Amino acid sequence: MIVGASMGGLRTAESLRRSGFDGEITIVGAEKHLPYNRPPLSKALLAEDKELDSVAFKINTEELKADFILGNPAQSVDIENKEATLSSNEKLSYDFLVAATGLRSRKMDFQNLVESGRFSLRTYDDAKRIRSSVATGKHVVILGAGFIGLELAATLRKLGCSVDVVAMETTPLAPIIGELFGKEIQKRHEAKGVHFHMNNSVKDLIGDSFVTGVILGDGKSLECDIFIEAVGSLPNTEWLEGSVLDKSNGVLTDKTLRAVNSDGKVIESFFAVGDIARFPYVNQQLPARRIEHWNIPIEGGKRVGREIANAANPGSVGDFNPTEQFNPLPSFWSDQYEMSILSYGEPKIADEIELIKGSLDTDFIFSYRRQGALVGAAGIGLRQELNKLRNEICL
Amino acid sequence: MIKVHVDMEKCQHYGQCVFEAPDIFKLNAEDRLEYLATAEDSESANVRAAADVCPMQAITITE
Repeated sequence: MIVGASMGGLRTAESLRRSGFDGEITIVGAEKHLPYNRPPLSKALLAEDKELDSVAFKINTEELKADFILGNPAQSVDIENKEATLSSNEKLSYDFLVAATGLRSRKMDFQNLVESGRFSLRTYDDAKRIRSSVATGKHVVILGAGFIGLELAATLRKLGCSVDVVAMETTPLAPIIGELFGKEIQKRHEAKGVHFHMNNSVKDLIGDSFVTGVILGDGKSLECDIFIEAVGSLPNTEWLEGSVLDKSNGVLTDKTLRAVNSDGKVIESFFAVGDIARFPYVNQQLPARRIEHWNIPIEGGKRVGREIANAANPGSVGDFNPTEQFNPLPSFWSDQYEMSILSYGEPKIADEIELIKGSLDTDFIFSYRRQGALVGAAGIGLRQELNKLRNEICL
Repeated sequence: MIKVHVDMEKCQHYGQCVFEAPDIFKLNAEDRLEYLATAEDSESANVRAAADVCPMQAITITE
């Protein structure tokens, strides 16, 4: 049973079949849609007002032979008796469960509860709602200068909106890729007409039946037609409340992505994949972490599919080594205007950041080191140079 | 033989496919993606992995 009809859920099912698993696979999802690719939601899908089929993953139904239960999220699980309960109260028993419920947008707590004109972006439906409200000349305020906030800023500028970005940090993306890199991205956005309000916050919304503006932390106000919160995400683990798992931040796992309970005991039949999995480092002496990068569900799904196929029929997955530790190389990319940012590893754990190639006003590469070891590399352009560094990263 | 197609409208030349199937995909001197439109059956797993990791989901395979 796979809980989460997401990319991670789909990749797990595919990996199960490719590893020879011939048991039943049930995939349960909260959204009514089959798995689709989320990154275009803030970019091409929004810019070109495309439909779901442009982002839906191609599914080979004959090979997958999976039963999708959509629009019916799991509401609880009984790990001891291996039984999950869906929102419809239907109960499903399982031999193995893969938790791939991902994240949802974090929402601010404002006094003004006005809903119309207030948006966040996580799902296809969210993107369509934003799209149906934007038009040339509309004024948008985006709270948050992370990747989603900035990609939205770029897309909405392209659509002819005026855009203000409000964020609490001093420099966009600085906590993730460093001060200089972040500053350069801010500069390029400003050249496209985006206004930044850094070291600031949104204290409350203005408007009775729809949003007409925001009150900033510094007391000033901004008028707007559309307010979008892009202030990060929270793991969807409510359905695991009451279970013995360690779910203090996502689902804690061991180095094979099997869930661990609060006493540190490994649960053999329960796996976590993707954004919600908090998994240990193999080489770095740092606490287990969740990684919200696009390739992590792919790597995790592949691993867990093989793991379960092998556990269901020991020795059946010929080249599988069950003692091998899960140690994916995180990567992410971001397209904003003509900028294509690409990153490998975990730049944010670095204690030393250095511009090693190119120059800030054109294409460049930064290296990220922690105690001398390369833990990340990121840049704009210079693809082959950057791709060469990928294999030197040690996490 | 497997047929490989990359939608060059979608492709942003991130080169992630190159890591998975280096005999089929490569970035040229100008950092643009080049690929072979047909591959041996033995490349099947690699090409599928390449399609999976493509950030733009621009790779289609016909087996």
